[in-house]
Amino acid sequence: MKARTTPNLETVQAHCPPAQSAWLTRSYAALRAPLDRSRFVAAYAGAGRRMGRTEIDGRALDDLTRITLLTRACAVAESAEHLELVDDIFLRGDNRERGALLRALSFLPGPERFRAVAVEACRTNVLSVFEALACENSYPADHFTDPQFNQMVLKALFMGVAVARIDGLRRRQNDELIRMAKGYASERTAAGRVVPDDIGLIIEKA
Amino acid sequence: MKILDPHIHMTSRTTDDYAAMAAAGIAAVIEPAFWLGQPRTHVGSFEDYFLSLVGWERFRASQFGIAHFCTMALNPKEANNPTLAKGVLELLPRYLEKDGVVAVGEIGYDDQTAAEEAVFSAQLELAIAYELPVLVHTPHRDKVRGTERSLALVKESGIAEHLVLIDHNTEETLPMVLDTGCWAGHSLYPDTKMDEHRMVKLAQQYGHERIIINSAADWGVSDPLKVPKTVAAMLEAGIATADVQAIVWDNPVAFFGQSGRLNLDPIAIDQRELWEGNSVLRGQAPVVE
Repeated sequence: MKARTTPNLETVQAHCPPAQSAWLTRSYAALRAPLDRSRFVAAYAGAGRRMGRTEIDGRALDDLTRITLLTRACAVAESAEHLELVDDIFLRGDNRERGALLRALSFLPGPERFRAVAVEACRTNVLSVFEALACENSYPADHFTDPQFNQMVLKALFMGVAVARIDGLRRRQNDELIRMAKGYASERTAAGRVVPDDIGLIIEKA
Repeated sequence: MKILDPHIHMTSRTTDDYAAMAAAGIAAVIEPAFWLGQPRTHVGSFEDYFLSLVGWERFRASQFGIAHFCTMALNPKEANNPTLAKGVLELLPRYLEKDGVVAVGEIGYDDQTAAEEAVFSAQLELAIAYELPVLVHTPHRDKVRGTERSLALVKESGIAEHLVLIDHNTEETLPMVLDTGCWAGHSLYPDTKMDEHRMVKLAQQYGHERIIINSAADWGVSDPLKVPKTVAAMLEAGIATADVQAIVWDNPVAFFGQSGRLNLDPIAIDQRELWEGNSVLRGQAPVVE
């Protein structure tokens, strides 16, 4: 995955065919203060089908569209409304909608306010949703407490997700995380199971 | 014969029903949002119901190899509760945009009140705005008048008639519907609405164009196998196989296909799958195709 700049309307439109571009222009233009919530969540939900899921530089078009719409919605909505918007999408979105939301968190104003949603997302059993937060996403390393970050790293090991994909893993290394990872390795060894190769990224001193 | 039951409330049915339906040739179902037999007292109850229609219920059907689609709406009966109606109408756009939502419905008249008409009309506008076909429920009481009023309101709304399916027709209402450009649905019920033998006669008289049948099975006395049973009755009466196939597959596929969201790729059963951590199995060996 490429460097994660904030997606914006122009870059997304540069990559999509005219029919999709027209839908996006209409949906984006409808996001004005005061925010029409009903219309925004409809556009956010429909983005997958309306835009398609082709990949652009390793990022899916529906994801880029949803992130663009959500950052715009936050720009026109009252700041006090942002958390409610984020919670609403997480609660009522399908897996693709949730994934895009988790990848958008770092681009929203006052990202630390959305930590509870991000922590909740780590409890999912849906791999794609977990990966959206844990992998190639700076949000956990930037905003999680040590216990929250450590739980996410352990869950990645349990779910078979390569920990090399976790942003800021070395920067957030801590003694408790090393202890937990060693415990996991020893439990696997005792059970005669394979220990993931990349566990060294957690255990060896940075 | 490959069958699509385009009106069945699966949330009220059991896994035995799903297995029997699949064995009888039902490859796909459409579940209209409806009332639940007891009035809801919160807007949030509708929302959780809508979420289950695009979530858990779709998963449950897939576990038996059946493709599940739904239609979203505030039903006519509960449209009479003004405090709920406003909130539910505000919720709808998001759910109308979700994948696998193939129409606005079921909307229409129940008691034929002014409140029902306002909600019916508002939802015809939503169908136009979100580019979806419409499933219209016709009332049990004063049906002929209710059907006339429904057709008039459809006309007034400006929605194209080929995007409208008028449901629960009888011998008296079918010709009225066929005189317009709308499609005509028939609900095969154990006692009321329509039965197999009456349906055979209608097909013999009116042919198969724009004619659709369904079980409308729900939480009351009803039969999720009514469509395959009617197929058998039609074939036995000598109706051509291709005409029967049109009524139970080609027509509903053509009508709901107008949404652009009726993806009928075959579903391979994999009962090892989970929906948000939950399985339909209770310790059984998972079936995997």
